Amino acid sequence: MNEFVILTITAMVPFVFVAQGTMLSGRAGIFNVAQEGLMLLGAAVGYLVSLSVGSDLAGLVVAGFAGAVFGLILAWATTYLRLDQFVVGLALFFLSGGTASLLYRLVIGQDEPPRIKPLPEVVLGLDAMVLAAVALSVALWWWLYRTDAGMRLRSVGENPKAADALGIPVFRTRMVAGTVGAALMAVGGAYLPMVFSGVYADGIVAGRGWLAIALAFFGGWRPQFILIGSAFFAAMDVLAQKAQVTGLGIPHQFVSMLPYLATLLVMVFAFRWALVPGFLGRNYDRESRITS
Amino acid sequence: MTTTSTTPAPSSQPSAASRRARLSLGAALPYAIAVVAAFAVVAVLIVALGHDPIQAFRAVLTNSFRNQTGVVQTLQKWVPLTLLALAFVIPLAAGRFNIGGEGQMILGATGAVAVGIVGSGLPAAVLLPLVVLAGVLAGALWAAVSAWLMDRFSVNEILSTVLLNFVSFELLDYIASSVWSDPGAGGAVTIPIAAAAELPTVGRPPMHIGVILVAFLAAGAAVLARRSTAGYELRAVGLNERAAKLHGIRTSRVAVASMVVAGAIGGLAGAVEVVGVHHRMLEGIQSNFLLLGIIIGLIARGSLTAVPFVAFGIAVLEVGAGSMQRASGVPVEIVLILEGLILLFLLMSDVIADRVRRSRTVAVAAQEATA
Repeated sequence: MNEFVILTITAMVPFVFVAQGTMLSGRAGIFNVAQEGLMLLGAAVGYLVSLSVGSDLAGLVVAGFAGAVFGLILAWATTYLRLDQFVVGLALFFLSGGTASLLYRLVIGQDEPPRIKPLPEVVLGLDAMVLAAVALSVALWWWLYRTDAGMRLRSVGENPKAADALGIPVFRTRMVAGTVGAALMAVGGAYLPMVFSGVYADGIVAGRGWLAIALAFFGGWRPQFILIGSAFFAAMDVLAQKAQVTGLGIPHQFVSMLPYLATLLVMVFAFRWALVPGFLGRNYDRESRITS
Repeated sequence: MTTTSTTPAPSSQPSAASRRARLSLGAALPYAIAVVAAFAVVAVLIVALGHDPIQAFRAVLTNSFRNQTGVVQTLQKWVPLTLLALAFVIPLAAGRFNIGGEGQMILGATGAVAVGIVGSGLPAAVLLPLVVLAGVLAGALWAAVSAWLMDRFSVNEILSTVLLNFVSFELLDYIASSVWSDPGAGGAVTIPIAAAAELPTVGRPPMHIGVILVAFLAAGAAVLARRSTAGYELRAVGLNERAAKLHGIRTSRVAVASMVVAGAIGGLAGAVEVVGVHHRMLEGIQSNFLLLGIIIGLIARGSLTAVPFVAFGIAVLEVGAGSMQRASGVPVEIVLILEGLILLFLLMSDVIADRVRRSRTVAVAAQEATA
């Protein structure tokens, strides 16, 4: 397949996983802002497990579990203790990022890190995680918009009081969505050393976590648009890198700005459909008399 | 509890109470508990890693006070930390999230470096204020873009500030490697600014007077936030935007202004780093000040009064981290975990305090009912 397409699709994968995880949590009302740290944790755990076990799949799975633990803490602290989501998320960002560096330092130390073998190509020069990313997006869309369970989850993120009155388990839904969402973020992080670098480094995430939050807003918190948005952003990024090599007569730094400026520009024109879950970032107090 | 109402008091949200956090014993106690608990957990972690926690903590905490160099290092680190924390906390008071502190700081550094290089030849009395002003304006302008997008097009401010951070990194790279590149430096570094644009220093080892200026600025900001109309409106918008609007506060204007002021402060941080510390602009000048600024602002619970004090504590930890690794072999990442735990435990202690207060209220009410 065309090299540009392959590069774009590969660059898209981590964004899809992390942004869909953000969306899934957000649709239940939990606004996770620990992406950057969770991706770093996923990258460190994924790399270390893959290195010691020799299986990338094991690395991805364990990374997912590591992310799930932090997601569970976030969901519990915001749902049952009703602590500020943004504050807890950032605290967990620091904790998970610190844990990632610490784990790596403990196992590898200051030595030259051995490379893990890259994910095998499955079809047309693409690895299985690409297929998984697309399948995840389609499945999330179908689940959220075509099943009762999905509608219940969305209702928790829009109006938990109404959902509660209908007998939907608001607390449990938030716990599950927060945990699974964080697991997806860590898996997205684990993809980075397995495809791009082969090794873990503290700067490996390079702001992708923050961009994933931007992509969740960009996609209006809907899985299908998040997939498109991730592809768009990845394509712009690859184009910028290509232009950097071939040269366009303008400084390459300005070309590198384009993906970010383009995303911002699209947001400006898309602000009408850029919906946000009604209860995003807020905590449900069952005993409060204030509705919505 | 001296109230004798028979109905339980309305549940007080911790966030509402925290905004009025005073430096009283009641406010200081959760801090003490959180810090002690965080250090305890980290001590267990250090033992598990096979190191001596006492030695590690001694290294991390005393490094700033052992000699003059440590003190100056800590205070100069305190400057950008305080400024970026303020740049985060001021919009936060209006319920807006400014994640663009590092972009605003880089723009501030860019503005300062541009004027500092182009304006060489001007006397210091003219050039230095101009350089700082250029930094402040550049930062404010950068934040104004996000504020305008937020106000005019409802573009979420987290999104726009994060994206503009990435744009600013590229801008810095361009300025430092193409416009005023220093060919002898290796890497993206600009040529130095004119000597007249450097901040004066005091003491030995030299400490730039930006430390003193920022101390006054932080004190002034804390007073303004509490005593001025603007500060009142800012808090009103953050606490209940709808109520503030109904009472005639132009809420969108307050929100925009809070972002622009934050940008100006972030720009000042960049300008001070240029004129006070580096005397040039270089890649990575923003360091990790944005994230530390956010965590400082959150540990301070959004209180402008508490920010400088918390920032000092974090500056001590950050300056001591390297020395801890050298002295006891404990990796520097432990400090990151420590900071995250302090924040987390501070929130937990709020929950406990709230539970205690509630159960006491209920007990009083029950007593009233039976009496």
